[in-house]
Parts: sequence; structure tokens; C-alpha cells
Amino acid sequence: MSPKRFWIIISLLVISMLALVACQPTEVIVEKEVIVTQEVEVEVEKEVIVEKEVEVIVEVEAPEVPTGTLVRAISTFPNALDHPQAAERQASTTDWQMYDSLVWTGVGGTIVPQLADSWEASDDGLEYTFYLREDVVFHNGEPFNADAVVFNWERVVASDFEYAYHWQTAIAVEAVDEYTVKATLEAPNALFLSTVADNWAMIPPGYFEEVGQDGFNEHPMGTGPFKFVEWEKGDHITMEANLDYWRGAPKIETVVFRPIPESATRVAAIQTGEVDIVTRLSAEEAQSLMGVENVKIIKYPVARIYYIAFNNLTTGLEQPTMDAKVRQAMNYAVDVDTIIDALFDGFAEPASGYVASGELGYGAVQPFGYDPTKALDLLTEAGYPDGFAIDMACPAGAYTHFEEVCEAIVGYLSDVGIDVTLEIMESGQYWDMEANKELPPLFGDSWSATGGEAFRRLTGALGGFDASYSAWSDPEIDRLLAEIQATPDQDERAALYGELQEYMQEDPPFIYLYQPVAFEAINTRVQGYSPFPAETYDLFDVFVVGE
Amino acid sequence: MQRYFISRLVQSVLLLFGVLLLVFIMVRVTGDPATLMMPREASPEDVEAFREKMGFNDPTLVQFGRFISGAITGDFGNSLHFKTPAMPMVVGRLPATVQLALTGLVFAVVVGIPLGLVGGFNPGSVIDNIGRFLALLGQSVPNFWLALIMILYFAVRLQWFPSFGRDEWKSVIMPAFVLGLPVMGQIVRLTRSAVLEIRGEDFIRTAHSKGLMLRTIYTKHVLRNVAIPLVSVIGVQFGYMLGGSIYIEFIFSWPGMGQLLQQSIGWRDFPLVQALAVFTSAVVLGLNLLTDMAYAIIDPRIRYGK
Repeated sequence: MSPKRFWIIISLLVISMLALVACQPTEVIVEKEVIVTQEVEVEVEKEVIVEKEVEVIVEVEAPEVPTGTLVRAISTFPNALDHPQAAERQASTTDWQMYDSLVWTGVGGTIVPQLADSWEASDDGLEYTFYLREDVVFHNGEPFNADAVVFNWERVVASDFEYAYHWQTAIAVEAVDEYTVKATLEAPNALFLSTVADNWAMIPPGYFEEVGQDGFNEHPMGTGPFKFVEWEKGDHITMEANLDYWRGAPKIETVVFRPIPESATRVAAIQTGEVDIVTRLSAEEAQSLMGVENVKIIKYPVARIYYIAFNNLTTGLEQPTMDAKVRQAMNYAVDVDTIIDALFDGFAEPASGYVASGELGYGAVQPFGYDPTKALDLLTEAGYPDGFAIDMACPAGAYTHFEEVCEAIVGYLSDVGIDVTLEIMESGQYWDMEANKELPPLFGDSWSATGGEAFRRLTGALGGFDASYSAWSDPEIDRLLAEIQATPDQDERAALYGELQEYMQEDPPFIYLYQPVAFEAINTRVQGYSPFPAETYDLFDVFVVGE
Repeated sequence: MQRYFISRLVQSVLLLFGVLLLVFIMVRVTGDPATLMMPREASPEDVEAFREKMGFNDPTLVQFGRFISGAITGDFGNSLHFKTPAMPMVVGRLPATVQLALTGLVFAVVVGIPLGLVGGFNPGSVIDNIGRFLALLGQSVPNFWLALIMILYFAVRLQWFPSFGRDEWKSVIMPAFVLGLPVMGQIVRLTRSAVLEIRGEDFIRTAHSKGLMLRTIYTKHVLRNVAIPLVSVIGVQFGYMLGGSIYIEFIFSWPGMGQLLQQSIGWRDFPLVQALAVFTSAVVLGLNLLTDMAYAIIDPRIRYGK
């Protein structure tokens, strides 16, 4: 081989390697390339049209037998359809169409019956007794009963799945009689039922023992409204209506899930009618679809809060931000509303505290609002009339427009004399440093939560050294969180969340930013579809017209 | 000739080892998979336990040894994301990628070579100008942009082709066109310049003066010499298309290896990225080896150990 050819091969290899390393979360990058400047009046007009369209839903009658095919685009490839192994939301929301849990999270975060008709908790909050429905069978005809629940719990608890801890919440699960199950907890846990609702997907014991874990991964089954048909890896997942479903047959005959990672392609596919539901669109993409025939836009606030975190564990110890007044001042100094208007076309909500809308205890406090004069006063009171210098970091390419948000914050803080040095880092490295608590005293991130409560977000971000991604610790916050966990009554818990949020306004561990709005587009032939804030949805009541 | 083949084979094996080393290092400098794989709510102890379980805490040399010994037997471990063996998953994606690359290559060759030949034999003609324009276009238009524009126009506006997926024979046309266009451009230019160059060679003048028929001169002398650079370019480009269709597969949701690679990097799925990179590199090296052998068969000068 001539030296020239040798070098051609070498450089090709190097180039392909570089390409491997270079193509990080591309989806977000593409979203950012679209720059839309539109006049505000036009947007308002469009929005009105959308709301009108949504109201039409009720007019069409659902078919009596399962009819038609619904194609739903998902943005990543599910790693597994066995629920405790599902690594991210697109996988878990897909597999839930095949499964049921003992209870379910209804509208507004309340717990409603599913496979368990009713349940009761012991007075000390350590024992939950579930009374199961007696008419439920799995897709293969196996009956669902107390032994099946025990089998499911034992299977996951003994596994090394990353999500096994959701089942380890219970330290024992026993069958009392054929249709009664008792779960025992180590300590009172107010979130136990919502953990069960989100994670305890029931699978048939006999079938699992027959085919094993690999066989089950190939052909999963549960008790849910849809039955598994086939999974062509990287191409599609097909499910069909379960005619023997205990709630009655669903209204769609076939559901197909198709991964389309590129959002521009999802936008194209909903317009051609090749798919009926597309998710994870940017505001710009959603706007480009408004007014397109046969396409309807759905938007809803996501249970995710963006924030700039302070650090009182490691890098922030000697900083002016140890003073609560300084942290308040920094909250007043940032104009969140303008950031939302400028970067998200108004499609986001300013975060009020660290609880998202729709979660328990939301609305107990108001956003700080933009008040630079007050910020300057507070800084003067704290002894920093001329401001100070501080470092800040933000992840690159991880969230839509987040780099720009961070740059805007630097600008607002410099207006009150705080000189911020911003470093934007590759996100993988960023999260490593965040986990090691090595980031600068100010850093930006976001946190979602499931189960209708902010609890896991709060413990995750404020748990001190016991939590991987926390840079903050405060005994008062710890005390209130422990109390929330030990309080089963929803109203009392809501009051505690309120108390906690008020405390976190006085002594803020974050600069509170915003809660994003999610956009989905659906074909107008799809009826009865309404996703929840955590991107979950139930296809049981959904049907398609015109077939 | 045997000696030539053997030396090429040895070179390829050495290169493959270099690839293994590079892949191993590259993947590890991009960050810690444990923090990405574990849910955000997980405690530091859980993350540490995961690291220990996956063997990320072992000395790098031990990890490399494990990686190499696995790689030799084709065992790259279980994908972190999918929890199933990585290599079979990669191989399962091969047919889609090969279909796409082959279609693209056939398009590039079938359109590119005739255009180049006509251009080379009649420089300055209308067809030559068209060919040169297409070649320039093919090599300078960014493929991700072209892909999106084609989806917008041919899938959304005209509805001639599906916008994504691999459902019917029409699905392959748009991605294969986008993938093949730059290669076509290169083939047009290369064929054209090779024909022009060879036409001026002494042996062609001799052939003319011997009174050979034009057709004989073209097919026996010109084309045979043009074939040598073409075979090398086609071989290299086919390898490149197999490995380099990441963006195109991603945009068209084509269920091939490139799309899997794009996603597995985002997941920091070490075993899967490694299996993909090594497998793709092995395919490219294999193709280069085949190209070199084809060379030797076409070109006696190489065969006789020159």
C-alpha cells in the first residue's frame, strides 16, 4: 500500500472518530438553528384559534368496537418494554399502554383505583392493604391475583435494574388471601401510593417463569388495554387492542410507535399524515404547524423547573451568596418574564418557588418579579453596595436556549453590579462536575418530577451531600421534607409544601427561572387525547375518526 | 502477488488494532456514563455501586485488556442502554445500512461514470457542462440541509415519497440520493479527468497510429486505465458511505447503524459505541483490502510486485 493510501485511511478513521465524538444531542442543536421573529399580535391571534380547536373534541362519537390505526412518533428508541428496565420517559410511557398498576395517578395528582379496587393504610402509615379486582386476566389468560403481585415485587426487588429502588420502597409484600395484598414499609412514606402508580407494572408470573427475562423482553405482556404484537428494533413497535380488558375494550384497533429522533422530520411526518401524534416540538416548530390543515397543536406546562443553583457545600462557602439577602437580591435582579418573551416567544411560565403547576402545594408563593431597585437595596443592606465578582457555569446543548438564558442572567446581574464570569461546558463533563459538587458557586440546571408532587425534585436538589446533584443543605428544609414524607394526608402535605416554599423565598437556594411548555401536534382525526404534565398519557379513551 | 496480499492483510490487522485503541480512549474522554445512566434522584452510593458493577472503577489497563480480549471474540459486552449484547444489535442494523449505501452507490456510479466519460471524451460540450455543474453541486451542498429540503418538498409538498422510515421501496430513494450525491460528484470529476489524461498518453497515440478502431481504443485502452482510479475511489467511498451515513439515517429515521450510533453516543453507551465503531472500521478496512485486491487483478503492474 502506498504511503498516500495509508494516510488516506488513517485520516478517514480519525475523521470518523471525530464525527463520533462531535455528534452530541443533535436534536437540541437543530431546534436552536431556527430563529423566528414574529410580531406579538400575530401569535396571540394564532393561540386563540388553537384553543377553539381543542374544544371541538367532544362532538364525535367513539366507535363501538376498536377501529383504525393510531401512529405515534416517539423521539428516542425505547431501550426495553419491561417497565422496571425502561430508562427514560419515551420508553416508560410507551410500555404503560400494555400494563396496569394497583393504583393510578388521576387528573390533578390524585390517586385513583386501578387493579386494586380500594386500599387502606394502617394508622402508623407502615402497612398498606390493597383489595384487588377479581375479574382481571393477563393477556395470556393467566388470572391476576395477590400471588401475582407478590411475584412481581419479588422479581424486581431481587433484580439489579436501576429502577428497582422504586419497588424497594416496600420491605415486604405478602398475599393475605387470593385478592388481598399487604405491603409493609420501613418508615411512613407519603409518596408510597404515587410510587406504586408510577412504577409497579404487573406482569404474568407463569408466563415470565416459562420464557425467562430474555423471552419476556422479546415479547412483553401485562393486563393493560393494548397487547404486544411486534417490535422491529429501531423501526416500530406495534400493539393491538386487548378485547378482554377489564375496563372494556379500547377504541383503537392497532397502535404503532415509531421512533423519529429528528424533530424536523417529526414536523414533516405529521403534515404528511404518516403519523398521528408527534411530541417534543419546540415553540418555533409548533408555530410553523399552526394553520396546517388536519394538524392540531396541544400545549401544556411540563412538570420541570429551570433554576440557577447556589452552593453552600463546597465552592460557594466563602462567597457573598452565603448571605440570604444577596440571594434574594439576585432573584429580584433577573427579569424572568422578559427572558421568557424573548427566548421562548412567551411559551413558558415563570417558576413560583420550586413546585411546578399541577403539583401539590403549587401557588403558595408568587415569583419574585423584576425589581432592580430592591435588588440594589438588598445588596447594600448585605454590605455589597458595589456588588462583587462570582463564577457561574451552564451546560451546553442540554436544554433549548439554555445557554442564551444563562447569558441573559449574566447581563441582568451585571446591571446590579454583580460581575459574573460564565463558563458554558459540554453537558457530559458538566454533569460529572455537578455530581462531584465541583461546579462554580452559581450553576444552571433543570429538574423534572413525576407523581404529581415536587418531593423528589426537592430532595434531589436540596439533599446536601446525600444527593448526587445537590449543592445545598439546610436543616430547616430537611426538617420540612422529612415531615412531608411522614404525612399521608394530602391537604396537610399541601400546607407543608406551602410552608417550605415560603421559607425558600426568604432564604432562596436558587434563582428561580421558569417552567417550560411542551408542544405536541396531533392529526385532527385523533379524538380524546390529552397528555399529562409529566408527558404521560393514556390511549384507552383515544379513538380515530374517518376510517 | 501472494506476498502483496499477505502484506496488505497484516497491515489491515495492525490498523484494526489501532482502531480498537483509539475507540477505547475516545469513548472514555467524553465523560462518565454512570452519572448519565443513573436517575438524577439516585444517591451517590447508588451511583458508586453502579460504577463498581459495570467495572468502570477498575484500572484503565485492566478495562482495556478486558475490552481487547472481548473484541477478539466479537463480545463487546451488554449495551448499557438496551441491556442486551451489543454486537448482535449492531449486526442486526447492518442490512438497512447496506441497502442504503448500496443504493446510493449504484446511483452515484450509474449516473456519475457515463457523465464523466461523455465529459472526458467531449470536453466543453453541453453534457460536459451539465456533468461538471452537478459534480460541483453534489460536492458542495451540505447533506443534512439537502435532506431536510427534500423532505419538505418531495414528502410534504408533493407527497411522492414517505418522509421517514424504511417501509416500502420508495423509502430508500431520498436518503440514498442525498447519500450518493457527493460521491456521484466525485466520480464524475475523477472519470472526466482520468479520460482526459489518458487520451493524451503516448500509448493512445500509438494505438491511433496503428490504425486501431476508435471503439477498440476506447474500450480496451482508455476504459481499462480509467477503471484503476475509479475502483479505488468507489471502494473507499462505499466504506465511507457505510460508516458515514449518521446524519442521513438520523434525519430520515432509517433504522441502520448510523442512527444507532448517533443515539448511543448521547446515552454514553460505551459497549454499543465501541461495537459500532470497531465493526464499521472493520468493514471499511475489509473493503479497502478488497479494493486493493481488485486493483491487482485489473492492473498487472501491481500484480507483478512493482
